[in-house]
Amino acid sequence: MRKTALITGITGQDGAYLAEFLLGKGYAVHGIRRRVSLFNTDRIDHLYRDPHESGRSLILHYGDMTDSLALMRTVQQVQPDEIYNLAAQSHVAVSFEEPELTANADALGALRMLEAVRVLGLRGKTRFYQASTSELYGLARETPQSERTPFHPRSPYGVAKLYAYWITVNYREAYGLYACNGILFNHESPLRGETFVTRKITRGLARIVLGLQRCLYLGNLGARRDWGHARDFVEAQWLMLQQRRPGDYVIATGEQHSVREFVDAAARELGLALEWRGSGKREHALVASARGVARHLKPGAVVVRVDPRYLRPAEVEALVGDAARARRELGWQPKVKFRQLVAEMMRADLEAARRDALVARHGYGARQRHE
Amino acid sequence: MKRALVCGISGQDGAYLAALLLDRGYEVVGTSRDAAANRFAGLQALGLRERVRLVSMRPGELHSVEQVIERARPDEIYNLAGQSSAALSFEQPLETFESVAAGTLNLLEALRRSGRAARLFSAGSSDCFGDTGAGVADEQTPFRPASPYAVAKAAAFWSVAGYREAHGLWACTGILFNHESPLRPERFVTKKIVAAACRIARGSRERLRLGTLAIVRDWGWAPDYVEAMWRLLQPQAPRDYVVATGKPCSLEDFVAHAFAALGLDWREHVDVEPALARPSDPQRVCGDPGRIARDLGWRAQCTMPELVDRLLAVESRACV
Repeated sequence: MRKTALITGITGQDGAYLAEFLLGKGYAVHGIRRRVSLFNTDRIDHLYRDPHESGRSLILHYGDMTDSLALMRTVQQVQPDEIYNLAAQSHVAVSFEEPELTANADALGALRMLEAVRVLGLRGKTRFYQASTSELYGLARETPQSERTPFHPRSPYGVAKLYAYWITVNYREAYGLYACNGILFNHESPLRGETFVTRKITRGLARIVLGLQRCLYLGNLGARRDWGHARDFVEAQWLMLQQRRPGDYVIATGEQHSVREFVDAAARELGLALEWRGSGKREHALVASARGVARHLKPGAVVVRVDPRYLRPAEVEALVGDAARARRELGWQPKVKFRQLVAEMMRADLEAARRDALVARHGYGARQRHE
Repeated sequence: MKRALVCGISGQDGAYLAALLLDRGYEVVGTSRDAAANRFAGLQALGLRERVRLVSMRPGELHSVEQVIERARPDEIYNLAGQSSAALSFEQPLETFESVAAGTLNLLEALRRSGRAARLFSAGSSDCFGDTGAGVADEQTPFRPASPYAVAKAAAFWSVAGYREAHGLWACTGILFNHESPLRPERFVTKKIVAAACRIARGSRERLRLGTLAIVRDWGWAPDYVEAMWRLLQPQAPRDYVVATGKPCSLEDFVAHAFAALGLDWREHVDVEPALARPSDPQRVCGDPGRIARDLGWRAQCTMPELVDRLLAVESRACV
């Protein structure tokens, strides 16, 4: 029989890849989206069909993680076999500015979904996936981090996700719910939000090369992360819900790179070699050599600078995951390598920047879109 | 004169803490969700009701918290407020989060925004550790919270640590193990046992029904624990501490001692009914108070079985 999945956060990066993946597996996919005054379904528009057509496999519902009633009603209506709780205020730096919203959406949001499953008597039917995060490790006590590494969150985002993690474990143990945490390390793609550092880099460099922008401003260049591809990671989310018993899994590539290395790798894709000078808040990168699409950039031009406003009040310096358990029990392995990930993102942002440049050349104001 | 703000003053710890602070010359402002409706039985029992200023504050509401801090202008803040029953938290997980985790976050945020140099003590819970198994929990032991209450307390703990690390707030958590007193309400097992034993000693034919006798806890005396709270705020730099006696005791020993002290054999009066046991109740919860003993010179003064004798002494007076 055809399975039904409900995805919260379907308009986000992971939601879009997961929806596509599940539709490919023959699922009926329901998603919850927030009502905002602008269209916010860009990432899934290619999957979505006019609501007036019949036999659609992708259905969207209005809702919000801070609204218990809306969530309860949607779960009741959809009667899902699987819930993927991906919705969140997912930006770490923003969580320092909006701690209450972050707690409400990320921590209580998870609780509200779990309560909906319990109260509606769907414990025996519905399986639950909670999008947990490597930010739980924060000031990590060991390297690499596995399912056994103790948590030490360093941001309101990390604390809210910690609550969501444990409340998921709690509902599994106290009520016998099939509920899993995927402790996902950073996962990127061309669909990553533009204010996340990887997209800032690929988008910024593309725009610099096409003359739409002069300099790229970043925060902590030394931060080291384990970056995988979102498409690989959503497969792990699905796999977790197909097992005999529920469990919690680290999902990671096991490979670590600094933000600086990401910048270098992205620049190389454009034929650009950078030279780093200075340190701390004065660190910057200038053009060492340029060819290909970047050939017009002058050697010596400063293209990357540090802006202290992007530094976090408490930094998470280094994270790298050990996904041995997922490999062993789920048979999961990442397919996309770091270089391929950077290349794919760079290509997509170069394409987007070309479109902006074209529009500008024809006299239409290209949208500037700053943070 | 130093000013202290005690959030959640109507509970057991709030009353004893108020007593300690008044004794040390503090001006004490205490909060409760609705100060006009609360009976403040604890303060009443200690005869302190008229000596503290009582105001209404809802921890889950930032503006309410900010106003109270602004008016009280405290040097020290004690965060004792919040839904405190693990059992109830299964039925009311949202309210538990609201009062415990969101309440702590609001205190931290309000304090940060106020720009005041006040110091903040936050009451943590040994429930964060879950079952400590054969070992003992200290400040390095990873959390494994097993109820919505414990999960909310874990989130509150990390919020305090986060505001200390990220914003330089003078804030710390005391991870408090069980601490008892005559001010405990009867839904707490210690009070339930002592009250029943006293009634039985005075001729009642009732049976004491308990879910299990096998659990092991680290029971301390609440007045000792409020001393620890105060000491946590006195050093130069803030640090988190486990507050425990370090002397684990089984519920069976607790029960046996309570009845024996009244000249009774517990086996004749107690029924164990597994249906009453909570499914996720940890078997063994034991703490290691080594750090607080070393750093702050704090040690639990009253431990088992003296603790039972003290509870009995008060209870039997109340029974007469």
